[in-house]
Amino acid sequence: MTTQGPVAARGAAVQGRAAAPDADAVPPEASPVRRRAPIGRLLRAEVRWIFRRPRTLAVLGLLVLLPVITGVAVDLTLDGATAAPVDAGPGGAPGAGGGPPIFVTMATSAFVLPLGSLMTLLMLLLPLTVAMAAGDALAGEQSHGALRGWLLAPVSRGRLLLVKTVGVLVVALVAAGLVVTSGLVTGFLLAGTDGLVSMSGTELSVGGVLWRLAVAVAWATIYLMAVGAVALAISASTEHPMLVVVGVLGGLIVSVVLMQIPALDWLHPYLLPSSLTSLVDLIRDPVSFDGLVEGAFRAVCYLVIGLSVAYARLTTRDG
Amino acid sequence: MGPRTKALVAAGAGITVGIAGLALSTLPAGADDDPVLPAIGAEELVTSALAARAPAFSGVAEMQNELGLPAVPGTEALDFESVRVFHDGEESARVQVEREASELTFVKGSDEAWAYDSREHSAKRFTWDEADAAAARGHAEAELADPSEAAAEIIERLRPTSDIAVDGTARVADRAAYELVLTPKPTEKTLLREITIAVDEETRVPLRFDVFANGRSEPVLSLGFVEFEVGAQDADLFEFTPPEGAEVETTEADDAVGSARDAKGRDDVGQYASTVGEGWDTVVIGEAPDDLPTEAAVEDGQDLGGILAQVGQPVTGEFGTGTHVQVAVGGAVVTDDGRIAAGAVPRQVLVDALDTDGAVQQ
Repeated sequence: MTTQGPVAARGAAVQGRAAAPDADAVPPEASPVRRRAPIGRLLRAEVRWIFRRPRTLAVLGLLVLLPVITGVAVDLTLDGATAAPVDAGPGGAPGAGGGPPIFVTMATSAFVLPLGSLMTLLMLLLPLTVAMAAGDALAGEQSHGALRGWLLAPVSRGRLLLVKTVGVLVVALVAAGLVVTSGLVTGFLLAGTDGLVSMSGTELSVGGVLWRLAVAVAWATIYLMAVGAVALAISASTEHPMLVVVGVLGGLIVSVVLMQIPALDWLHPYLLPSSLTSLVDLIRDPVSFDGLVEGAFRAVCYLVIGLSVAYARLTTRDG
Repeated sequence: MGPRTKALVAAGAGITVGIAGLALSTLPAGADDDPVLPAIGAEELVTSALAARAPAFSGVAEMQNELGLPAVPGTEALDFESVRVFHDGEESARVQVEREASELTFVKGSDEAWAYDSREHSAKRFTWDEADAAAARGHAEAELADPSEAAAEIIERLRPTSDIAVDGTARVADRAAYELVLTPKPTEKTLLREITIAVDEETRVPLRFDVFANGRSEPVLSLGFVEFEVGAQDADLFEFTPPEGAEVETTEADDAVGSARDAKGRDDVGQYASTVGEGWDTVVIGEAPDDLPTEAAVEDGQDLGGILAQVGQPVTGEFGTGTHVQVAVGGAVVTDDGRIAAGAVPRQVLVDALDTDGAVQQ
């Protein structure tokens, strides 16, 4: 998922961007008062850069496509043999040993399809997207010298981390939002407003579905930011963006494996992916928020750890 | 402070805070000391608990099941981890049994009750003319899942055959409660040691029950609230309209009354099951469902008969022949003609129960 072409041009442009705030301000050497680069402009530039990368667009396109493929495939299968295909979706929740995944009933509804897709993609592809963005943010720019511009520019390391974090946050939000929106639109096209039913058997209004999906996107963003913070910590410690992606995905896979071992159940509350099953609670009516709140809290803990390590690594980094 | 020290402090503080937060969320809630409550007599507590009317409340209960029971029809309601309960303080209640990716929802109103299973996308409707006990029996599964109802049922059923005592106090779902202990009378032929029931001091609603078996210090079955909040509930919670496309099946309570107690000593508790005996040595007898292969049927290379032969021992009696399987708190006999008898009792009691049941049926 690497692109070779625009690297050099990008590196130069990033340097130009980093220096840009000084161009219309007084050059730092010339004045005893160092003008701080306006944060808004830095953020805009960062976000523009992220979304100009072909790999970002490629993975986002894939994220849009997958709910559509799932919906259409399940729809076709359901037409073929009613109620027979139990393994319609690629698994509703990790380790769902007991019942069939939530895909079985109303699998293509505008409610279950976006949530189910989000849950499935949160296992690997969405973390991959975020890890990729975080890897590019620090390690990637370091690897072709673009970070040097940042480090020399009148931007404090804390602000640099802030800009990079917001960049990752935007990616997380856009990615989660795209998955849900794509699922929602596909669901509406396939089933209209049919099948907007909670697991408790209540029919939901379109408004009821929309706020639940909004909560799902917000929650997924927090979860992905926890992944992103850890990725930024790795990213600040290396100059190989590949290492960031491998580290994050490896960590997630190891966590999931550990979650399968009942003897380690004392460890499970410490593992980030154990929050994922709580998204199912959004399909219940009334929604029980206990699991979601706990999952969000766990994610914030990871966020604090990740960002503090990233900050420590960044402040001690030489230009 | 140099940048290096600053970095170390930042990293150290962040990691500490983060890990402390993670550890915090693993701590069990409500590990407080037992509350001090005015002394109360066992009889008074039992009477007040049985007379207690549940206030309007919402609660979350969790279940711990170490029974190792074989799949007896009618015990599917025991296959869950957590359940949410809503009461309006009058006749209406809502019980949601949460499974990993599906849910069983029971909604009981003043003149009808619904059971919805999201796995099947099917709804069952129970109606009755008068809100009597037979109607309540129709959705016994719902009561099993609600700790307050289930514990009250236990007290009522086991009261005549138990020695009852109050054994201190406990804190359940952050509420002060009395611990009621039911011990089987010496004449009872059971493998259970005792059942403890925590009764809320303020409302007298049972909040938790634990079932203990002989020779085990940990409870084999525990169902209790982890959250319990008294307060008015939204009226919408107690109304149910089956969603479009759901399979709806209606049962009149009158039919249920007709078929229940159709014969002396044989008391219908569900579609498949009947009970023999009373109190601690009650034996539940059920028909193995049709889709369950009973006789040497091969499914996925597994032979149910072969498995039974491996884990169980053959038994014979007037009822015919079968296989006895021993589990933590009791046992079950699967007969060769596809009936299952289970209870917290020794093997001979199961065999006797099957004989009795066979005699009643003829």
